[in-house]
Amino acid sequence: MQHIRNFSIIAHIDHGKSTLADRIIHLCGGLSDREMEAQVLDSMDIERERGITIKAQTAALSYRARDGQVYNLNLIDTPGHVDFSYEVSRSLAACEGGLLVVDASQGVEAQTVANCYTALEQGVEVVPVLNKMDLPQANPDGAKQEIEDVIGIDASDAIPCSAKTGLGVEDILEAVIARIPPPKGDPDAPLKALIIDSWFDNYVGVVMLVRVVDGTLKPKDKILFMSNGNQHLCEQVGVFTPKSQPRETLSAGQVGFIIAGIKELKSAKVGDTITLAGKPAATPLAGFKEIKPQVFAGLYPVESNEYDQLRESLEKLRLNDASLQFEPEVSQALGFGFRCGFLGLLHMEIVQERLEREFDMNLITTAPTVVYEVLMKDGTVEQVSNPSKLPDLSKVEEVREPIIKAVIFLPQEYVGPVITLCNQKRGAQVDMLYHGRQVQLIYDMPMNEVVMDFFDKLKSVSRGYASLDYEFKEYRAADLVKLDVLVSSEKVDALSIIVHRANSQYRGRELVAKLRELIPRQMFDVAIQAAIGSNIVARETIKALRKNVLAKCYGGDITRKKKLLEKQKEGKKRMKQVGNVEIPQEAFLAVLRVDEGK
Amino acid sequence: MAEARIIPIAPRAAGSGGWAPQLSASPPLALYVHFPWCVQKCPYCDFNSHAVRDDGIPEAAYRAALVADLESALPQIWGRRVHSIFIGGGTPSLISPDGLDELLTAIRMRVQLDPLAEITLEANPGTVDAGRFKAFRQAGVNRLSVGIQSFDERHLKALGRIHGRADAIAAAEAALTHFEAVNLDLMYALPGQTLAEADADLTTALALGPGHLSCYHLTLEPNTAFAANPPEVPDPDASADMQDRIEARLGDAGYRHYETSAFAKPGRECRHNLNYWAFGDYLGIGAGAHGKLSSHEGIVREARPKHPAAYLAAHHSGSFVAERRSLGAAELPFEFMMNALRLNQGFPRHLFTERTGLPFEAAEPGLLKARQQGLIETDGDTIRPTTRGRHFLNELLMLFLAE
Repeated sequence: MQHIRNFSIIAHIDHGKSTLADRIIHLCGGLSDREMEAQVLDSMDIERERGITIKAQTAALSYRARDGQVYNLNLIDTPGHVDFSYEVSRSLAACEGGLLVVDASQGVEAQTVANCYTALEQGVEVVPVLNKMDLPQANPDGAKQEIEDVIGIDASDAIPCSAKTGLGVEDILEAVIARIPPPKGDPDAPLKALIIDSWFDNYVGVVMLVRVVDGTLKPKDKILFMSNGNQHLCEQVGVFTPKSQPRETLSAGQVGFIIAGIKELKSAKVGDTITLAGKPAATPLAGFKEIKPQVFAGLYPVESNEYDQLRESLEKLRLNDASLQFEPEVSQALGFGFRCGFLGLLHMEIVQERLEREFDMNLITTAPTVVYEVLMKDGTVEQVSNPSKLPDLSKVEEVREPIIKAVIFLPQEYVGPVITLCNQKRGAQVDMLYHGRQVQLIYDMPMNEVVMDFFDKLKSVSRGYASLDYEFKEYRAADLVKLDVLVSSEKVDALSIIVHRANSQYRGRELVAKLRELIPRQMFDVAIQAAIGSNIVARETIKALRKNVLAKCYGGDITRKKKLLEKQKEGKKRMKQVGNVEIPQEAFLAVLRVDEGK
Repeated sequence: MAEARIIPIAPRAAGSGGWAPQLSASPPLALYVHFPWCVQKCPYCDFNSHAVRDDGIPEAAYRAALVADLESALPQIWGRRVHSIFIGGGTPSLISPDGLDELLTAIRMRVQLDPLAEITLEANPGTVDAGRFKAFRQAGVNRLSVGIQSFDERHLKALGRIHGRADAIAAAEAALTHFEAVNLDLMYALPGQTLAEADADLTTALALGPGHLSCYHLTLEPNTAFAANPPEVPDPDASADMQDRIEARLGDAGYRHYETSAFAKPGRECRHNLNYWAFGDYLGIGAGAHGKLSSHEGIVREARPKHPAAYLAAHHSGSFVAERRSLGAAELPFEFMMNALRLNQGFPRHLFTERTGLPFEAAEPGLLKARQQGLIETDGDTIRPTTRGRHFLNELLMLFLAE
């Protein structure tokens, strides 16, 4: 065990995390040149395009150190987005150390700070690394000073490197060995293995990536999941190098995979503790949480006959995404579709994008919403995840909305606009702390406001420098109302939103104004109204188009003119017919595009 | 979907081309002659036209090719009378009067031309003088269509025209002196144009008093200089105001609005164009010319090589047809409607079967939807677009596009 080191890389998106991981794997001979595909750890297309990691992955590497001994290094990758903060915390819980990668030319980015704090809270040894030293504008002294100011750890022996050229990569591995402690744990104690990640493989079923804390596991052992008491027979254990390699055992301190013939991903939840059925541990490892979707939206096929295809696609996605939830729902406006639950907005975007790209679906997505708790006058409590389903307020005692604790890191020059934004979003300041030039703002905020567009606005007012980390805090009663939208006097249920009464008039006005921009002119006037109950709070009219005619058509024009009309018709097909009005897909997300700045 | 409902009059074995429509009589026949050269190419023009090069127009060679083209097409129109000829372009008024005379003589010697045939020549101001007009008339041209576009110097410049206001007026006056049947082409919704300016163009045109006026909404067509570099044009409401004004004023002045963009004094409608819109037949000769010809075997569309050089080369190889395609039953209802519904007076029911060879049922699904949306109305045996249908002709036509 003295020769094992478990560590992860903490870095801002473009500070070179993946490139450094590739370098390390390459140096340890994890993959040959031929197999070396750039940035192997981020394997999904979307991850690669967006430069974020969605699933944690790992590489068990052998490294012959300068002391002549061979060390077993486990590099555990961490997801890089606020929607996945729980997964990040579980990945970090599996490590004794973390490499804090800072771009020597740009200094510490806010995003890194939040993850680094999570690491420090978990007692992980943080080793600072200064990347991109090959750039002429690299300023290592400035970057070190910032690490000390902002994060508050000693950066005097931060390791200079360039993941691009390979400079200093060996020094990093030496520091991993020298400065990160080997795992503790008792191979003979009852088994405790932490599930870092799990995914579905078409051939072997669910694969679990685990960190063994205590005990030893081998094939044929009967394993027990401590959160739910389910038992399964362990079929195979092994490690990723990053190719999968079967092993005879996994024991305390090691990171590897378990295959146990599990068919459903929800049986192997991230953060759960695996023990042996025959000799169970007394207590599970701390930190397990049931992940619940925080954000809900309706997904509908544009063509109603693609409903079955959408269901099949969602089922396939869920095989590999335990946090995705969906159930059928019917909208008067959009027909048959699904109410889907997501971890957050990014998760929603990823699912939407995968459905469109990998499954070739043409979708309408409704505005994302949180889950409200409604206390009825008869004392029962209902959960509402679709605004159009909010019960009639005359039967309601109170509506409660989820409040989150938002932790925002930002450079101090943006404090003013960010505070203004938080106030606009009904936030209440809890704390404000200065770390060098970085400021940490802590706010209690209605999650609904955050889900709408807070993240985008935060980025824009801070020019991308602010980071947001949040966790659910509590449900609080609030004066909330349902804002309905009527198009040509017909209520469009898919456009309903729940808003605070104080903002409702304003929201209504902005929403109908945005819809007026997004819905193209039709052959007749289209009235767009926002209403609370029977009270119309805003109205706009889309004036009828007066003509749609091709000026010329003579003998030679037929083919070209026909193509033009076919194109027009194709464009209409991508819209949803509600009553006799054609509404484009993006209109259903209009509420996200309302600009509060005005 | 529409296809499933079509019941052939005389079913044929489904060969590679599938079932083809069967016509009981030949539609009227027109002849189109394309002249592909202009002094310079205008930025809005998507027609097959080419600027004249320094070495001039190879007029004699082109004329010889046209005659050879016509001869090679004769078997397709055997025994059929030609009711109209339209010489379009490009700028066909660039042809020498003698050359035009020879061309028309050559045509008369090869086809059976109706003695009262309408023979139209397109002319652009700046390329003609009164003497030429007189000579064209003597050669047998009996209708002149003048590409005025606008009488406003600023707009003519924006449109890239080579003529100015004075040229436009002179050309119109000369045309009216020598021809009884004259059309003036006008355009509106021009870059930077106001309603008052569109009105002024119309006032000038009405004062000249031609029997026929074509008023085209400027369209930014793909593959033109305007498409690549769009000018600022009046918004849809402003151009709709212009359209309304034009229609009202021309109506008051005694012009009948008989097609989307065409207005005529009684009896002055363009018979050649009416034949297109009534889904008649036409033979097209010349570079890039299109033809549509019906026979007992069905309806074919054909096209000549587009580039003048390719067309001249075709003369040597003897094969003038660059594309030929049979129209399938599924596309015919749309093609018929695309033309016939441009006519404000509409069409009699039986014309559909007469011209497409399909039973009327083939048109009914689209007509039913159109009626429900208030885009067409039926008056006895006549089907015609309503005012709404005329304003939203594209929406109306889309109802006939095969899924």
